[in-house]
Amino acid sequence: MTTSPLVPLVMGHNAFFGVDHLSAQRGAARAASFADPIRILDVIRDGRALGAQGMMMSTHDRAAGLCDLIRSDAALSADLKVYPLLPYAQKYVTRANEVGMVNVVLDSLKGTSFSDKMSLFLQGSRGVLARDVNSVLGALIRLELKPFRGLQMPAVFLHDAFTDLALGLGLKDIFEFYMSELDRAHGAVGAFATKNLPMLLERFDAWGLPTPTVMTHFNKIGFHMNPSREDCEAAAAKYPAHIMAMGTLASGFLRPEEAYGYLGGVKGIESVVVGVSSRAHAEQTFAAIRTHMPVMTGNTVGAV
Amino acid sequence: MINVAVIGFGKLGLLHAGTVSGLAGSRLAVAVDSNKTLLNALKAKMEGTRIYTRHEPLLKDGGIDAAFIATPTGTHVDIALDCVEQGIPIFIEKPLALSGEQARPLVEALEKRPVANMVGYMGRYLDTFAKAKEIVDSGVLGPLEMLRCSMYIGQLFKAGKGWRYDKGVSGGGVLITQNSHVIDKLVWMFGDVDWVSGQTNSLYSTEVEDHAHVFFAFRNGLRGFMDASWSERHYRTPTIAIHVQGRNGTLDVDDDSVRLFLDAKSDAYAEGWSEWRKPDLYRSVPFDIGGPQYTLQAEEFLTAVRGGPNPASDVRSAYAVQCVIDAAYMSAERNGAPIRIAEVMA
Ligand SMILES: NC(=O)c1ccc[n+]([C@@H]2O[C@H](COP(=O)([O-])OP(=O)(O)OC[C@H]3O[C@@H](n4cnc5c(N)ncnc54)[C@H](O)[C@@H]3O)[C@@H](O)[C@H]2O)c1
Repeated sequence: MTTSPLVPLVMGHNAFFGVDHLSAQRGAARAASFADPIRILDVIRDGRALGAQGMMMSTHDRAAGLCDLIRSDAALSADLKVYPLLPYAQKYVTRANEVGMVNVVLDSLKGTSFSDKMSLFLQGSRGVLARDVNSVLGALIRLELKPFRGLQMPAVFLHDAFTDLALGLGLKDIFEFYMSELDRAHGAVGAFATKNLPMLLERFDAWGLPTPTVMTHFNKIGFHMNPSREDCEAAAAKYPAHIMAMGTLASGFLRPEEAYGYLGGVKGIESVVVGVSSRAHAEQTFAAIRTHMPVMTGNTVGAV
Repeated sequence: MINVAVIGFGKLGLLHAGTVSGLAGSRLAVAVDSNKTLLNALKAKMEGTRIYTRHEPLLKDGGIDAAFIATPTGTHVDIALDCVEQGIPIFIEKPLALSGEQARPLVEALEKRPVANMVGYMGRYLDTFAKAKEIVDSGVLGPLEMLRCSMYIGQLFKAGKGWRYDKGVSGGGVLITQNSHVIDKLVWMFGDVDWVSGQTNSLYSTEVEDHAHVFFAFRNGLRGFMDASWSERHYRTPTIAIHVQGRNGTLDVDDDSVRLFLDAKSDAYAEGWSEWRKPDLYRSVPFDIGGPQYTLQAEEFLTAVRGGPNPASDVRSAYAVQCVIDAAYMSAERNGAPIRIAEVMA
């Protein structure tokens, strides 16, 4: 198995951007409390001090401001691992409703670098879009990753809706391209978020693709685990993969003790991403992870 | 193996294509879209999928067992009629049509030549709403008396572009697009509507309404209102909430939870407050792209294609939804004068 791009404990981004899978209302309230990016930075510093070495971050419009703040903090920018999650789908969907999917892509590319633009547009953008889907995708990825330049970025996750769409359609080529493009152009591992872990790992195995890095739901009640919790556990144990568990608290449904008591018994998990909304919250959650997942967290988390 | 054609390969078309391909026993055989750029990009990525710019030559060539129609709303009925004529089962995205009048020939065609048919009101498959329906059907609330519900999303704060804001293609504004989901849920849970009184308002759009307010009188005696807007701040995603009060208690349902209050205990439910949150009710699915509701919906349609029972969310029930929407628009034009649904259907 390849070396892992994952650190054991990763802070989630949802609370900062108003995403709450259990309650839309609570999500909106949280986002309001994080309207000032300095408040987000405070929580990230606390989380780092408490032992989280990484941060998951969607390519939300507000990510750029947050990245600037991280860059401005010498300690954080030197050692905080940032894991972007792209694309921020909501942004594209809203615009696609107005101008159609093809135009969203073309409009977005207007914001790409001069060289991208030259190579894409000299040949007629519509023609290129059809003939060379990969260079268009490459340009879109560069665009999405622009705010993260200069930060430590070991892996970049593809949003689950896109991973799972490509998975459903059996587009091996998209997986290959995404991994090679991230490696070639960004020096990062092309990683995948999914809600269908067993199918993804089976396909990677059958297609002969390299060991995947995956972010997927793992929790005691099987929330967002398909086709079943048991199948996900079996797949994680069977196939080589670098797995980051998300949704471990089932959107706040489970208490940390209960959640990590379960997760500690699941084979094949290298990393946990968990939302932090305050120092006290982070302390409690990380303590439960440390207690129940000593092998995974080893001395990295304990050593702070 | 069920060979599926997806007609209209936009956002919803892609989702259905990925879902049927991800499920065992069905595959995407054909993609149809009038946009050549999109098609050529698809061609490069999806060998083994036949590609057409129009549905007519596909129907002539054949080789498909079912069609998913996910084109802009105004085009659904004509495409569906062509499929029915060939005896091809149809899944149609919601809303069914621009109006009840546009949809009626399809209802009639299906009466003459029944084929498996479904309309994509996938909200019925959201766990919280399925639970709420179960509670309403159990009768524990007693006679239903008062209703209030809402659908909000913050998507439009300046004049919009695209087919959604073009009345000839979309049929109208927020009332018929996202909010048709709410009306479908109301008819599904509470039965036929007797009459409505509606008001609409355009805030940013010129052709269509951005805010709609409708009073409903159901045949079962339930009365109440619905408020809907796609220009409501603070709503990142479409958010539906329904509150209903019966003689014996209350029920609140939204995407996140179901809350029931009962004066006295019943066989199945406790006295006082009961709550079910999304994770309580979650059911895994074989394969999930955009949410389990789309998978459950596709499975039910594919079961019907294989000869199983037709889904309850069929063309007939979507036609009833359409007539309620027509009546609400008609009422709004007459400054809220009550309009009977039977009048619209006649
Ligand atoms: N279930 C839901 O919650 C939900 C959500 C969004 C949209 N919808 C519905 O799905 C349908 C499609 O919406 P969308 O958001 O995917 O739109 P879209 O604009 O992304 O896609 C529509 C596609 O149809 C193609 N098209 C247009 N006319 C055609 C024709 N005559 N033949 C073949 N292709 C044609 C267009 O080129 C485009 O690619 C609409 O009826 C909409 O109301 C449902």
